[in-house]
Amino acid sequence: MNNKPKIGVYVCHCGVNIARTVDVEAVREFASRLPNVKVVRNYAYMCSDPGQLLIRDDVEKEGLNRIVVASCSPRMHENTFRKTLAAAGLNPYYLEMANIREQCSWVHEDREEATAKAKKLVYAAVAKARLLEPLYEKEVEVEPASLVIGGGIAGIQAALDIANAGFKVYLVEKTPSVGGRMSQLDKTFPTLDCSACILTPKMVDVANHPNIELLAYSQVEDISGYVGNFDVKVRKKARYVDVDKCTGCGICAEECRLKGRIPSEFDMGMGKRSAIYLPFPQAVPAKYTIDPERCLYLTRGKCGKSPKCADACTAGAINFEQQDEIVEFKVGTVIVATGFDTFDPTRKPEYGYADYDNVLTGLELERLVSASGPTGGNIVLGEGENAFVPKDIAFIKCVGSRDKSVGNEYCSRVCCMYTAKLAHLVEEKIPGANVRIYYMDVRAFGKGFEEFYDRVRREGIRYIRGNPSEIFKRGDKLVIKVEDTLAATPLEDEVDMVVLAVGLEPRKDAREIIDILRLSQSADRFYLEAHPKLAPVDTATDGVFLAGCAQGPKDIPDTVAQAKGAASSALVLLSSGKVKIQAQISFINENTCRGCGYCVEICPYGAIELVTISRMGNPVQVGRVNEALCKGCGACAAACFSGSAQQKSFMDRQILPQIAVLGVMR
Amino acid sequence: MSTEFEPNVVAFLCNWCSYAGADLAGTSRTHYPSNLNVIRVMCSGRVNPLYVVNALQQGADGVLVSGCHPGDCHYMEGNFYARRRFTLLRELLEYVGVEPGRFNMSWVSASEGAKWKDVVGEVTKKAKEAGPFKQFRRAKINW
Amino acid sequence: MVNVDKLKEIARETISRDDVKYLIGWRQGTYGFRAAPYFMSTPEEAEELIFSPLCTNNLATYLTLAEKLPVPRGQEPDSRKVALLVKGCDSRAVVQQLVEQGISRERVLVIGCPCRGVIDQKKVEAKFPDVREAVSAVWDGDTVVFNLPGGSVAVPRQEVLAGKCLTCRYPNPVIADVTVWEEVAVWGSDDYVDVRELEAGSPQQRWGFWEEKFASCMRCYSCRNVCPMCYCEDCVLDRLNPQWIMRSVNTAENTAFHLARAFHLAGRCIECGECERVCPVDIPLMKLNRKLTKEVRDKYAYEPGVDPEAKPLQASYRPDDKEDFIL
Repeated sequence: MNNKPKIGVYVCHCGVNIARTVDVEAVREFASRLPNVKVVRNYAYMCSDPGQLLIRDDVEKEGLNRIVVASCSPRMHENTFRKTLAAAGLNPYYLEMANIREQCSWVHEDREEATAKAKKLVYAAVAKARLLEPLYEKEVEVEPASLVIGGGIAGIQAALDIANAGFKVYLVEKTPSVGGRMSQLDKTFPTLDCSACILTPKMVDVANHPNIELLAYSQVEDISGYVGNFDVKVRKKARYVDVDKCTGCGICAEECRLKGRIPSEFDMGMGKRSAIYLPFPQAVPAKYTIDPERCLYLTRGKCGKSPKCADACTAGAINFEQQDEIVEFKVGTVIVATGFDTFDPTRKPEYGYADYDNVLTGLELERLVSASGPTGGNIVLGEGENAFVPKDIAFIKCVGSRDKSVGNEYCSRVCCMYTAKLAHLVEEKIPGANVRIYYMDVRAFGKGFEEFYDRVRREGIRYIRGNPSEIFKRGDKLVIKVEDTLAATPLEDEVDMVVLAVGLEPRKDAREIIDILRLSQSADRFYLEAHPKLAPVDTATDGVFLAGCAQGPKDIPDTVAQAKGAASSALVLLSSGKVKIQAQISFINENTCRGCGYCVEICPYGAIELVTISRMGNPVQVGRVNEALCKGCGACAAACFSGSAQQKSFMDRQILPQIAVLGVMR
Repeated sequence: MSTEFEPNVVAFLCNWCSYAGADLAGTSRTHYPSNLNVIRVMCSGRVNPLYVVNALQQGADGVLVSGCHPGDCHYMEGNFYARRRFTLLRELLEYVGVEPGRFNMSWVSASEGAKWKDVVGEVTKKAKEAGPFKQFRRAKINW
Repeated sequence: MVNVDKLKEIARETISRDDVKYLIGWRQGTYGFRAAPYFMSTPEEAEELIFSPLCTNNLATYLTLAEKLPVPRGQEPDSRKVALLVKGCDSRAVVQQLVEQGISRERVLVIGCPCRGVIDQKKVEAKFPDVREAVSAVWDGDTVVFNLPGGSVAVPRQEVLAGKCLTCRYPNPVIADVTVWEEVAVWGSDDYVDVRELEAGSPQQRWGFWEEKFASCMRCYSCRNVCPMCYCEDCVLDRLNPQWIMRSVNTAENTAFHLARAFHLAGRCIECGECERVCPVDIPLMKLNRKLTKEVRDKYAYEPGVDPEAKPLQASYRPDDKEDFIL
């Protein structure tokens, strides 16, 4: 086919929107004298059906192969006219628009000036249109499976939704059991539902679902590929217990020589476990795990005459020879639901967390009030003869949140309400307890939150506005030094127990997933969403979504909502089975590329990699664009010194003529 | 026709913020000088610094590069790279004797139609003050 | 102390290694105060090696050039190392090439020669006009001694060293597999007086200065070809589609060429001064390059060619980079 440019220029009146300020006839006449222009027409509304039909007819009768539409902003109607071109049998990317409405007729009053500018814009569009090249939108197949990283409530919910829609889900959890932080909670605010009661059925569902493959005690090692086609590598850590044989009876843990000597992570170190353990009674899967860092046999090679767990296990499930196993599979989408860490209060030494036993974090108190906790739900401090029930109890809010001195400027969103909840539980469990809460502000923004806050205050819990400066010991008591800022009075408050309402922080190992998935972090170091408002579950990497506190602090309802959002976004891809890849993407001329790697560094999507090719017999490195990852920003093209990286539809050789026209025409 | 010098300004706008902001200025029917003409690119990070040199060579009296505010880039970091490049380019241009007002950069978001109007006014005024660009303009231009 | 015998010995040992294909060094030129690049591939050839105040050439340029020769049909590419003699400034070119992956570390063997400054050909020729014979030179304390046909003459270093050497902060190689002799004390510091001088003028004065220089350019491209950092397979400024710069030699095109060249070196120029040295019409190209070097140092606290692990300046950013001029 003869591809010599034959350009059709269509000047839109837009009713009077353009025609009032721009002499469209003069523009038409001007355009007809431009190089390669074959047809020029004026029309009242180019975007209307008859307007579009004009283009289709001319393409057919006049053999046009490039179209310039001078009308409104391409942000408005570029897609409309692309479809027109496609309907006329032309490649939709043979379109160039001149914006003579938003950026001309609407912003200029002088008809002469506006007309002169419109001519220039049309000329520039024609100059570029001559050099347009056809582009094709590719489609890639989507592997009908999803990877969910993190088995907390966010990951559980996302996995269940996707699995219920009929797609395979691989749920990877780092610890031996799913459940996450929510499983550690006693009650949930503001309704005071028992956390375990609402969570455990979902945990069991996950384990039993035919579409879910639960990979507990496992870690994602590597993910490569792109939307629809991610290759995943997961390390299944050795449990030293054959999960097919383990019945979860627990005799091994009873027999373990280290029984009751190892701090339990689940109970925040307040309870004790054995070296072979189930993290908590309702753990899913209900399979025991040997802690390789504690087990005598694994660390010293010797455990008495023979390991007692192995002797005790009637099922013969203990296997000290077990090795880590690498599992590989393919998925179409990935959901990151890796959760959070609580703020480490030793970073606020003035609160004495490291120095005084009776300074606790919120999560520690959570375990104390829990019926399944180390004290059976009794709030008891100290051990043995020194054990006592605290009467004067103070909470301190915003520990590690809204605090620039520790680098956390953000509000953790849950502490106000979990403090109110714990204060209520303390009141309930310790009759006559004297509870006060030191706060900066109370943020009770959610459904039922304000009502709950109100209820707690009516129950006699005192809210004192002030940010304590120091906690020290005086006799048996802890003294809080604080100014009541509403009464402008300095106080020294003597209490038995201080509870620090620690905030939420990104996980300490957050970097691992960033490196694996090329995620970004926002200023608060949580994972960055693609758009804070309109794409809050998406990431810059297509096919990778965020759920839960990995993206930022949130409570359980918000976490579940976001998990469902992430699942639904993943399902859009999974159920359509195909994903379209942008056409206006970058490419690299491998003949001229010198392999400096600037584009690789700059590409925000990790879409470019260096590959070795042979150039005149020499092995040389050149950049190569992964078309499925490229989003067409063109950053590589501007960074490339040799002009080898170019962006389709925005190539240097297409833009320079535009510059020339706009520069030369007076 | 007025004998006053009317400068010719070429502007490179990112599609997502500045171009949308310029569209908004139109939708809100603000008025500004017609001396500035826009070339749309997807990201300010796409603008090759040599475009600026080329525009001056090919007849522009002023050049503007405009993108999203830092942190708001549609492609996350394109404007950060652009900022470095054009900070250096601007130093270089001034060093060889290009007047300071000729090359400008701005951050205009999609909601800043009013700012766009101000930016156009400002860069047009600066280019007018600087006068016709002569230093290394090409004598004969053909495209 | 410079010990050429030791250098020769190391060169002989190096070239005898199985994994080295050739060694690039310097030897005495055929006339005047010149050294010439010397490619040697046998131990015997080491006898001709020199290291003296005449060794101006930055040999790092050849590292990337050599890779561009076609491999004859039916032959395997020679993947052995290239051994390279470097002064302090040259070594920065090697580092920057590593940063930009222009070369790979395992393909180059760097032999570091701590240096006391090389001569400016033009200064020396002005002092000793009409010398046709090949003249050797050595450092001696604060002088350079020229072994002229009529006898040796000592000249204070200050009077004959190249400008870049007077302000040199890197006389010792920043990267080397072997350093031939002990490091020398750093004597220079650089506050960019030459750049500030020009900055102080008005735009008209500055353009007046450069217009004259650029007008005299004849676009021989020596500055580009000698530059160790200009190693694109195919220079973008040579292309016809798109044609960034017209072929005609005039002030407008020349200026655009020099601006593009300087900008492409922003955050990359390691100030070896080769471009200026080879310019046949004496355009003060380092005065142009150094403007950007200065800005890069002031604004981004960045110095190219020092840290092989550094990210390239133009391929990195900081969220709080200065932006005081942005509207």
